[in-house]
Amino acid sequence: MKKTLAALALGTLLAGSLGATETKDPRLELMKEMRTMMDAMEQIQRGGLYSSTDEMKLGVKKLQGTLKSLEGEEVKVILPKDQVYAYKFAQKTAHMLRLYSDDLIASIDAGRMDDALEDYTQLLRQCTSCHIRIRNW
Amino acid sequence: MDRRNFLKVVAAGATVVAVSPSLIRGNLYAADGTLYKGYEKAQLVDAAGKPIKASALEKEVTYIFNYPYASTPCMLINLPKPTSAEVELVSEGGEKYVWKSGVGKERTVVAYVAICTHQLTHPTPNDSFIGYVPTNKKTMAYDKSGVIVCSSHLSAFDAGAGAKVLGGAATQPLNAVVLEHAADDTLWAVGILGQDKFHDYFQAFRPEIKEFYGKPAEAKKLVSLSAKTVKLTEFSKEVIQY
Repeated sequence: MKKTLAALALGTLLAGSLGATETKDPRLELMKEMRTMMDAMEQIQRGGLYSSTDEMKLGVKKLQGTLKSLEGEEVKVILPKDQVYAYKFAQKTAHMLRLYSDDLIASIDAGRMDDALEDYTQLLRQCTSCHIRIRNW
Repeated sequence: MDRRNFLKVVAAGATVVAVSPSLIRGNLYAADGTLYKGYEKAQLVDAAGKPIKASALEKEVTYIFNYPYASTPCMLINLPKPTSAEVELVSEGGEKYVWKSGVGKERTVVAYVAICTHQLTHPTPNDSFIGYVPTNKKTMAYDKSGVIVCSSHLSAFDAGAGAKVLGGAATQPLNAVVLEHAADDTLWAVGILGQDKFHDYFQAFRPEIKEFYGKPAEAKKLVSLSAKTVKLTEFSKEVIQY
């Protein structure tokens, strides 16, 4: 009986600790999203350099999938503490990323590749602009 | 005066004007004329089309008008004290030029292009991260208020001295809008002083400009006759200032 109770207690503890690790840390989530954004940017660039519009579109899709966390109020939770006040700036950056990435798709569909590549340049500029501001470069 | 002397006088006058075009208008000017560009003269009017009088401008309030293009926002401010005069400025290309002073009875009225020279932050109908910080408010960008601040990357510009850079990442002053103050107290925009960033602005913000101003041809249309001038708080739904 004692063994059964001990096993039960151990099991409960283990389950508890597993549950705790499953609780999402917003900052870790942000880091994950940022890595995805970087992958997305690389994919768009690769598509542009290899003349693959499909690759570019996939990159845009991946990028846009990461924007929700920056666009909403939850951005306040994920920003570094000394930069929380600047959450409007992060939201504006997310808005511009969406605008340029939408235009990138529209430009590809219209065959305006110069505009599409310019949109990529502006996407990258938004990334660096936000990093300069939020990470105090 | 004989014919030869007359021709000499005309040639001398033409040379002087060619070297310093600002002598024609006698307002703000570039030292060698290269950083001044005259555009079509436009009267600043309110939303109802009524001419704005310099003396009626509220103190320390940022007003917005589009000039010299239909989509390039500029700010108009009536400062609390007279501006400096004959301010020597330097563009990021290293060219020196002179901002003469504010206009109006007490030389307190100034106008600048509201496009930050660092990364082109500008007011839109949605929001604004650039504007004048009144003397009774604080800013993170500079230890004193009464300055123009771009809240994107915290650049500060001296509103009373040709928008000279006071701090932050910007490397050259905001472009100044050359104003004429008429005898009837009305205000007219006549040109732009400084190394302008309009080409970069049109290129960088093409999708946004299209959203707010329509096709490129519409957005790049030169403003003529009048420029509608409204408070920044009316121009942008949200004003963000750090």
